[in-house]
Amino acid sequence: MRASTLLSESVAVLGKELTSELRSRVALNAVGLFGLTTLIAVAYQIGPYRIQEQDRPHLLAALLWVILFFAATSGLSRVFVKEEDARTAKTLRLAARPLAVLAGKFLFNLILLSALYAFIVPLYCALMGYSVQGIASLALLLACGAVALSATSTMVAAIIARASGSTTLFAILSVPLVLPLLVMLIQGTRAAAGSTAIAAVLPALRGIVSLGGATLIISVYLFPVVWHD
Amino acid sequence: MSAVSVEFQSVGKRFGNRGVLAAVSGTLQRGRVLVVAGPNGAGKSTLLNILAGLLRPSRGEVVYREGDSPLPRAHWFERLGMAAPDMSVYEELSALENLRFFARLRGLHLDSQAMQGLLEELGLASKEQSRAVGTYSSGMKQRVKLAQAVLHEPAVLLLDEPSSNLDESGHAVVAGLVARFRERAAVAVATNDPREMAWADARIDLAL
Repeated sequence: MRASTLLSESVAVLGKELTSELRSRVALNAVGLFGLTTLIAVAYQIGPYRIQEQDRPHLLAALLWVILFFAATSGLSRVFVKEEDARTAKTLRLAARPLAVLAGKFLFNLILLSALYAFIVPLYCALMGYSVQGIASLALLLACGAVALSATSTMVAAIIARASGSTTLFAILSVPLVLPLLVMLIQGTRAAAGSTAIAAVLPALRGIVSLGGATLIISVYLFPVVWHD
Repeated sequence: MSAVSVEFQSVGKRFGNRGVLAAVSGTLQRGRVLVVAGPNGAGKSTLLNILAGLLRPSRGEVVYREGDSPLPRAHWFERLGMAAPDMSVYEELSALENLRFFARLRGLHLDSQAMQGLLEELGLASKEQSRAVGTYSSGMKQRVKLAQAVLHEPAVLLLDEPSSNLDESGHAVVAGLVARFRERAAVAVATNDPREMAWADARIDLAL
C-alpha cells in the first residue's frame, strides 16, 4: 500500500518543478521574453493613439489576450516535453501516480501563467492607455482564464510529449480547445473595461468556468491513459 | 510484506511491422537473479520495460504475485525499482534533492542521513551529494540512478546495464547491491557484460 497521499505527491511534483525552473529559468525566460517583445512591438506600432475611439474596447481586449496567449504557449507547452527530453519521464512514471503528476504540472503552469499576467497586464494597460473600469471583474476573469488555460495547456502538453514533442502539434491541438476560451476571455475583458459591475462579465465567466471545469474533469480521466500508454 | 514474484508467459513485442521480442517466458523470484543476455537490438531493454509495466506486450502476459495473490497492475510500480540507460534523474537538482523528491513521491520518511548513507554506499562521496547532478560525470549520474532505484527497498528490482559508465570500483558496488537485493527481492539484470552475467541464477538468452 502506498504511504503517500495524492496531495503530498502533487506538492512534491510542484516543488520539483518550481526548484528546477528557478534554477534553469527556461520557461520563465521564454514566457517573459516572448510576452515583453510582443507587448513592446504592439505598443510601438499601435500604441494608445492609433486606434479609433469606437474600436478601442474590442481591439485592446483582443490584443491583450493575443499577447498573453502566445507568450504562455511558448512556456506552457514544455512542461512534459522537458521530461521526455531529459529522460526523466520514465523515472517519474514509476515513482508517482499519474494524477499527482497532472496536478503538480497543472499547478506549475498556473503559477507561471499568473506570473505572466502579473507582469504583462499592468504594463499593457500603461503602454496602451487601456483603462479598465471593473478591476475586480478583470481580476476574476484573469484568475478563471488562468485556470482554464493552464488545464488545457497541461493536457495538450502531455499529449504532444508522447507524440515526440512537437510544439507545432501543441498549437494545432490547442486551437479547438483554446479558441472558444479566448473568445470568451476577450468578450469578458471588453465588458470589464466598460463597467464596474461584476454582472457585466458573468456570461463570459460562466462559459470560461464551464469550459475550464470540463477540461479539468476530462483531463483527470484521460491523463492516466496518455501518461502510461 | 510477502515476497513478490513476476511470471511472464510467451511475451512478445512488435513496433509496427518490426518484431523486437518473440515469445519469451520466465519467472522472477526472490533469492534468484535472472540475467537477460543477448546482442544489441535483441530486445533486452524491451523485455525489462514490459516486466516493469512501462510497455504493453503485443502478445503474452505478465503477472505479478504477492504471496499467492495476483497483484493488480496499478500496484506494480510501488513494488518496483528500476534503473536503465534511458532513465535519468533531475539534472537541476542535487543527488540528495533527487532522493528526497523520490522518497516523498513514494511516501518514505527517510532522514537525510539515511539518504546520504545510501549514496555513500553506492560510492558517491558526501561532499558531492549537494552538487547539481548536471555537473556530475556519467559514472556519478549512474550511481544516483541506482540509488533512486533502490531507495524504497523494492520487492522487484530491474537493472538494465547497471554497470554502464562505471569503473571497476563502480562495478564492485553494483555487484554488492545485487548480492544484497538477491536475498530480499526478485532481481533481473539485462546485460552484455560477462562479469554481470556471472551473477545469474537463471538466464534468458535473446537472439536477434
